[in-house]
This record gives sequence, C-alpha cells and structure tokens, in this order.
Amino acid sequence: MATMTYLQAISDGLRTEMRADERVFVMGEDIGAFGGAFKVTDGFIEEFGAARVMDTPLAESGIVGTAVGAAVVGLRPVCEMQFSDFISCGFDQLINVAGKMYYRQGLPVNITVRLPSGGGFSGGPFHSQNPEAWFMHSPGLKVVAPSTAQDAKGLLIAGIRDRNPVVYMEHKHLYRRVKGDVPSGSYETPFTARVARDGSDLTIYAYGAMVHTALEAAYALEDASIEVVDLRCLKPLDEAAILASVRKTSKALIVDEANRTCAAGAEVAALIAEKAFEDLDGPVTRVATPDCPIPFSPPLEQAVLPTVEKVKEAARELLEY
Amino acid sequence: MSSSNTETLVEVTMPQMGVSVSEGTIVEWTKQIGDEIGYEETICLISTDKIDTDLPSPVAGRVAEILVEAGTTVDVGTVLAKIATDAPVDPAPASNENGAGVGGSAPDGRRYSPVVSRIAAEHGIDLSQVPGAGRGGRVRKQDVLAFLEAGGSAGGEPPLHIESPYRPDPEPAAAAAPTDSSTEGLSRMRRSIGRHMKRSLETAATCTTWIEVDVGRIEAARRRMGITALPILARCVIDSLREHPALNAWMEGEEYRRFDDRVNLGIAVSLGEDGLIVPVIQEAHTLAPEGLARRITELARAARSRELRPDDVADATFTITNPGQFGAIMATPIINLPQVAILDVEAVVKRAVVVTDAGGNDSIAIRPICILGLSWDHRALDGALAAQFLAAVKRRAESWD
Repeated sequence: MATMTYLQAISDGLRTEMRADERVFVMGEDIGAFGGAFKVTDGFIEEFGAARVMDTPLAESGIVGTAVGAAVVGLRPVCEMQFSDFISCGFDQLINVAGKMYYRQGLPVNITVRLPSGGGFSGGPFHSQNPEAWFMHSPGLKVVAPSTAQDAKGLLIAGIRDRNPVVYMEHKHLYRRVKGDVPSGSYETPFTARVARDGSDLTIYAYGAMVHTALEAAYALEDASIEVVDLRCLKPLDEAAILASVRKTSKALIVDEANRTCAAGAEVAALIAEKAFEDLDGPVTRVATPDCPIPFSPPLEQAVLPTVEKVKEAARELLEY
Repeated sequence: MSSSNTETLVEVTMPQMGVSVSEGTIVEWTKQIGDEIGYEETICLISTDKIDTDLPSPVAGRVAEILVEAGTTVDVGTVLAKIATDAPVDPAPASNENGAGVGGSAPDGRRYSPVVSRIAAEHGIDLSQVPGAGRGGRVRKQDVLAFLEAGGSAGGEPPLHIESPYRPDPEPAAAAAPTDSSTEGLSRMRRSIGRHMKRSLETAATCTTWIEVDVGRIEAARRRMGITALPILARCVIDSLREHPALNAWMEGEEYRRFDDRVNLGIAVSLGEDGLIVPVIQEAHTLAPEGLARRITELARAARSRELRPDDVADATFTITNPGQFGAIMATPIINLPQVAILDVEAVVKRAVVVTDAGGNDSIAIRPICILGLSWDHRALDGALAAQFLAAVKRRAESWD
C-alpha cells in the first residue's frame, strides 16, 4: 500500500501489467522519449525499451488501427490519446473495426484506449471534452471512468485483461488533485458501481471528477442524508447498484460533466424511470454541462461546468420537493 | 320534469364483466320505474358466480322501463332497462376525461408521487389525511412514512390477512335461549361457498399430508425485502409445482389435465363475516416474490372493496390458504375443485428443535417453525407424490437466499 496521485496510480497499473505480461505494450504520441503529455509513461522507455513503448505519428486512426491488428494476433496494446478529444480522428477504427470485430469474425480485440478527458483547467473546446457517451452508444465497447487513485489502477488492469475493447476515461483534472492509498502489486477493480457515501434521503449519481463534486456537495448539505454512487463503469452500467440506491432514497440527482444531451447520465435517468418508477418521490434530476463547447475563459468555463454550488442547489430543490 | 319531445330512451344492457363471462344475474333493482336517476348512479345489482357488482346508469334521467326481473339470469348484451333522458347521449362523457382521480391525483386535488401512492396502497392509508411537508404542501415519502410510524394508518382497513376456505360451521344457536339468537337466511356468498365446499368433499378423495418447515431464512429475507413471508413461500410453492406438475392440475369428471409450466395461483382472502374468495394471480410463475407480494396486495384490496372482476377469480391451477394469524397450527383444507390440491400455511411458532451442524453434531435450537398442510385428491395422485412435493417446498424454503 502506498499513497499515490491518480496519475501515479495509472502509471503504476500500466507498469505492473507490463512487468507481468509481455504481451502488454503502449503506443501513442510523445509517450516514449518525452514520457507523454501528462507524464503517465515517464521512464517507461528506459525500463521496457522502444519496442514496447512506441512513439507514433500524429495519426489516431493509425494508432487504434495498429492496436487492433496487434490484438488480433494476440498482443494486448494500450493506446494513449493525448487528449480524449482527438479520438474523433480514430473513430472509424474504434467504432467500426474494434467494436464489431468479435461480432463479425469472432476475433476478440483486446485493446485498451486511454482517453485523458474533462475540463476545469481552461483547456478550451478541443482539450476539455467528455466524449464517453459516444462509446456507450456503440455496441462492442466497454467504457470505464475511475474517480479514485485505487480504482484508476484497478480499472486499468481490469481493462487491459478484459478481452473486449475497453475505453478508459481518465480525468485530467484528477491527475494531481486526487491522492489515495493504492495497493501494491496487481489487482482488478470490478466493472461495477461503488457507493462512495451512504445516505437515505437522496442519491447523487456521478462518475470521474464529478464524484468529488458530488461528495463535496453531499458533505456541505449537513441536514440531509445524501448517498453518492460512483458509477465507475459506464458500459455496461451497474443496473442493480443504481436501482438499489434509488429504491432506498426515492430521489435521484445525476451529475454529468459531459454535454447534457444523450450523456451517460441520460441513460441512468432512463433506467431509473423505466425500472424504479414505483419508488420515485420526485423528478429524476440532472446537473450537466449545457450543449455548448467548453469555453477557454475561466469564468465562462466555471459558468457551464457543474460546480459544487450547482449540485448543492439542485440537491436542495429535490430534497424539498 | 315532464317528458318532452327532446327526450330519448337509452338502453341499459348486461355488461361483459370478464372475457370468460357470457351471462349475469340481476340480484336486485335499486331503482323502480319512474325513479329519477343520476349519471353513473346504481340502477341495479348484478352478479356472476361470486362476484357482485353495481351497474351504473349510462345517463341521467328517469327509469322508463324495466325489462328483466330480479333473480333472472340473462346473456351479456341483453337489454335490462330503458332510461328516458334529455341529456345529450354520449357513451363517454367528456367531463369524465379530465376529472380528478386519474393517475396519481386524488379527489382532493393533490397529486402524489409513485412511491407515495404505492406506500399508501400497501398500507391502506387515506392520503388526504397525511400532512405534507414538501413544496406547496406536497406529501413526500418521508411524510407518509412518518404518518405510518405515528400509527395513523388504515382507516378501518383490515390488515392484509389471508384466510382459509376451511371454516368451521357457525355456532349452532342455543336452543334454550331463543332470545339471544337471531335467525337470518345465509347470504348468497355463504350459500355459494357451502355448495362448493360440500361438492368438493363429495367428489374428491381428499387426504391431507403435513410437513414442518423452518422458516428462519424466509423471515430474514422478508424483513430485508420489506414484504410478508407469504409471497416468498408462494415462490417456493410455484417452483416446487413445476418440479412436480402432477399437483398443478385439474380433475374434471374422469379427465385429468396437468399444467406443466403455467401456474395460476389462487390465494384465499377472507371477507370477514361475508365469507371468503379466492382471487387468482394469473401466470404467477413469471413473478418474483416482490411481484407476487404486489399482486397479493392488489387482489386482496380489490376483494375487500368488492372490485374483483370475474376473470380475477378464474382458472387457478393451485391454491394457497394462509389463516395463520390467529395462531392455529394445523388444518385440513378443502380442495378448490377442479384443482387437485391446496396448501394450508399456518402460524409460525418458535419451537425447540434438534439441529445438526456440518460435523454431524446435534444440538437443540430455537427455530421459527411453520406447519404446511397439503390436501390432495387421491383420485389424481398418491401420497408419495404429495410428500415429495412438500419436501421440495421445505427444501426451497429452508435454503432460501
């Protein structure tokens, strides 16, 4: 057990799995000699060599496509997109090739695609997005989104070992802000939700950075007993855990850093409406980023992203309903 | 009001009260020729077998003709009466569309969330009596739970309890004290039950077999799930019936008809003094314990408020009766023909029993024990099968997880 940042936990998971399994290798833009834009793979090229820590051209389609080919012949590639926003250039390879390979030809595509996502640091419209819903919508992919250092390592290892293409959403805002005890050695975090805080009056559903926003809001609203569910895995969603919580509290607030329309939270809301209708005591409520690009300007960015204040206000409204 | 040229005659017909029902009987006319009658006011009482219902008038007006006498049985669609009216004749008056009482709102104008409505229905709470602390006086889940906690529940509603079709004969009136007794004819329902039970005893070769079941695990599960033990036990029975479908069957004359997969489960519901009725959970095998619990609650409420439809009491393939609440521990239930078996669930009593641990060591423990009694028709099956079935129910109940 060691205390690590979220970023160090990702590195640790990657290193642990590369040491344990020769089939695991990493590829991406500037991840070798430079150690990656965020230094996740700092020192990797020295330990594992350039053959397993591959610097690639600026061509996301090529990165994902190469990884698919390597997986088909039995390797376990981990691709890094420098920013999750750039995955749109590799979309066809991920959605149409990786996602459908097993269905069409019975060939498992054991790849993991790391997507540094999210805003909150004035990254502007091309470096702040949360594109997880694109992949949730596409059959054949799994989508995970850790919120803690421990889960960052465990979900990455589980993703590398999972025989399906796994989209791993790592939140940039958490890289150096979140610290926690991380078990040493190898372990897998299951693709299920986690109750981050126990409560009885209202449930806040969140994932990634928004788990921390939700927890802060929950602690601030001292008079109410607020449960926080960390979804952790977005595809497949942990239906049982999601429904169990709302059946207990009867009120659901969903916090989503992504743009509101068709976001992951919309799926959670639909699930609750469909399967927990008889247990509801108020409207299923969402706090999400409006359908606009993320602004560069710090005050404008704070105006669009869900904040602790906005979550508190929505929770208070729903509690009083 | 005198009759005028604008008056029209509207026919009142015998309604179709269920898909399997083709005729009905006029029990009593509550209006006579010449009486004024309001829209949806009861014009007469009709019945099919055990279900009685009020027939509402389709229009406001005056009873002009009564065509069928009380006590007569007629086909569905037969014209029973005619009402003279000058109101516009519309089979579905628009005023009914936006009235209160539709989906979640109540006659008091308040609207209730799904969870509040459900809790109220489960506990027989009149929501208009519950003070609301939510926005604009809205009743929140917490409010209805607090109301329940404070004992303010069930305005006259009996707790959900299910009673056996087996009922002792009424106490014979003491001949020596005629002033203390009263004489009255049996109700139609009592007569119907009596005929049915007597016919069963005369027709079936009824035997009863008992088994003791440790219901500790079921009790723990039901507390966890917030339901009664009956639906969990019902689920064990359904699964055991599918393992031994010979008991999930009908015996009609010489003809034996077995249902291999489908279980329509009858649950006996007491109607207090009036008697009892066995509403049926159709396709009960498709429901989990929570779903069974909900159906049992719905059907019991419908039975007590006399709102059962004929289809709600038809086609049971097996019946459970559960009179345990008074502490009786054993009964010999009477089979509900044409079914071939009925299971009686009695009171759960704590008993000192011998339990054996994994190492084979015996010790005495206090366990909640319930006796299940199965009456079965020896024409259709033999005792070994009845015992196997009970053992299957016991196995499932004692390993419930």
